[in-house]
Amino acid sequence: MTAPVFEASCRSILPDGSMLTITATRRPRAGRADVKCSVPGAPAQAERMQQVLRLARHTEPRYDSRDQVVLSADRALDPATRDWELAAVLADRIVRGVFQAARPVVANGWSDAWHLGRIDGRALVNVPDGVLAGGPDALPHLGALTGQPDPGAATASARAWFPLHSGGEHDDLGWVEVSVRPLTGALDADDDAISVPDLDALRQGQVRAALAGARHFDGRGQGQWKTTVRFGETGFSGDSYGLALVMADRIARGREFMARGRVIATGTSSAWHAGKVETVDAVAPKCALILREAGPGDRILLPKAWENALPQGMREALRARGASLACVERIGII
Amino acid sequence: MLGSLFRNPLRRPPRQDAFDATLLGSVAIALPAPAGITIPAPCAAVLVDRGGRSRRLAAGSRIAALDGETAWCVHPGPYTCDLVPFAGAPEIGLRVSFAVDASDPRATHQRFDLFLASEAGSAVDLAGFGALAQTALQRELAQGNLDLPPCTTLEEWNTFRSGFNQLMYTRFGVTVDDCVPVDLGAAHDYPALLEARLAAQAVPVTAAASVEPAAAMPAEAFVPACEDARALRRLFLELPCLMCAVRMAVLPADQVRFRQHQELLRRFDLVSLSVGTMPALELAAPGQPLALDEQLRRARHSRRAAAALDEAWALLARMKVAGEGPLDVLFDEADRIVANLETETAARRVTHVQDEVTT
Repeated sequence: MTAPVFEASCRSILPDGSMLTITATRRPRAGRADVKCSVPGAPAQAERMQQVLRLARHTEPRYDSRDQVVLSADRALDPATRDWELAAVLADRIVRGVFQAARPVVANGWSDAWHLGRIDGRALVNVPDGVLAGGPDALPHLGALTGQPDPGAATASARAWFPLHSGGEHDDLGWVEVSVRPLTGALDADDDAISVPDLDALRQGQVRAALAGARHFDGRGQGQWKTTVRFGETGFSGDSYGLALVMADRIARGREFMARGRVIATGTSSAWHAGKVETVDAVAPKCALILREAGPGDRILLPKAWENALPQGMREALRARGASLACVERIGII
Repeated sequence: MLGSLFRNPLRRPPRQDAFDATLLGSVAIALPAPAGITIPAPCAAVLVDRGGRSRRLAAGSRIAALDGETAWCVHPGPYTCDLVPFAGAPEIGLRVSFAVDASDPRATHQRFDLFLASEAGSAVDLAGFGALAQTALQRELAQGNLDLPPCTTLEEWNTFRSGFNQLMYTRFGVTVDDCVPVDLGAAHDYPALLEARLAAQAVPVTAAASVEPAAAMPAEAFVPACEDARALRRLFLELPCLMCAVRMAVLPADQVRFRQHQELLRRFDLVSLSVGTMPALELAAPGQPLALDEQLRRARHSRRAAAALDEAWALLARMKVAGEGPLDVLFDEADRIVANLETETAARRVTHVQDEVTT
């Protein structure tokens, strides 16, 4: 699928503000241990690192005993800090191709339950831009990297990605996250259970209308859920986030098949209650952006009207990268 | 050694329930049949001897088991069950109707009979079989060998269906007649499920902080002796059949592929040999008992080897539908699975592990 990587590194911010680099290398196992860790001057921390990695590997569906992964930290670790754990787990995943990162990763986070893939928190207080921070308010578990709901948690949340503006050089993909909790007790109006803290009143109304419509189409989920919608980036334009929002909602409510990677969608609708997906503008720049960003396992959903306007070779290029594309007319099963 | 493995009283629970032919075809797929009964109309009997060799008897004849043979009465179906393809999406499922094949004259060994011989403890009920099928399906989807993405198109659905049909036939020996996506919202209510999870989480926090959350969850019973015997029996019986099928599934196109194929089969053979000569679980050396935690470790390795065996069957299914194109990928996958089998069987043999932090 992708060319094998033999060395990868992942950084983490230490409490004193300096950068720790964890380098992972992969080599044939040749009868050795599956993971080897070295931390200068702190063998106990190396042992802890090995334990963390072995636990985190339990959440992977595929087990490969052919390789040994060697991790080394570039400075001694203070036993009091555990914020490097997420960086170590990600370095181990990147070097084996389990997780593909588009840009160099800086990550902070620790967990008491790596075997469930959960990330309990982080010690870093002010998180700079572009740093992957673990914890319930940021990255709650490892599957959230690709937007998957946590199968063990009582709050189901899923993310989907969409182009923030109309594609182009400086555009990026942003995510929308829908978290649902079972609603106990009666409820007066359906809309009140949907909160959208990040947006202004007008857009809050749009989000509520889209979700209410899509749930009406579904026939389930009305009055059953307490919903929170969050956006990774609130400075987006247009209403082409609609399809991504509705897909994230359906995945969070456990009513949709799942992609192995992220769901990247663009599309809107004036009739979500009928499950219809309508077209949006900017085919070419958005396709270029998606083509640039898509990774293995990603699922790309576009409006049906785009089918004949797709750039030449886009499907093939995506397939070669392990992603798949569908132009949809309606949401729901086939 | 092998004799003791197959006479292990833990392997097969004692049969208490009487033979009830009315259950067959509805809730039960196969039931252990007492000797001497006449096989009722649509059913067939499968007789398995101690070495795992099986033969079939047609309906209407009397079951005459030879010494050491176990007999099952198998109803061909059709059966219908609901599978949940993703653990995280309980409200969407697949309604699958399948049937147990009549014996395939081309095959020397019926896959379903092998399934009965190696995996069925006693009765095979529909729910238990559905759970096994669901596990196999979920693993294939999680590994990306089958794809069922959001808003599946018709073309993708057909690809999925052919892969799934082949998986069910290769892994279990049943043919899928029909498979449609269904809304399971009524049966598996997700809000209720999450509420139950919330309640389960709330208990350990309020009751006692010292109690490990893991301990509060219903623990899966893991009896090393049972698990180990079951996994080794599966490996012992299924590996030769698997090798035979892998040999036939690929027709090497050139010298390089031929070598690759030979090497793969050779390694399978060595794993099979290693399983056949596996030391007893509870002995470190003749007359010298092994510590209990080491027994547990050995049993875990056996179970992981059995999991690799499951992957190998799934891979065989992919080889059958693949054709020439992606053979490189499939051989790499086979290499990984055989390497896993080798590692696990080797770890099952050793009596203790040395500290391996720095090696």
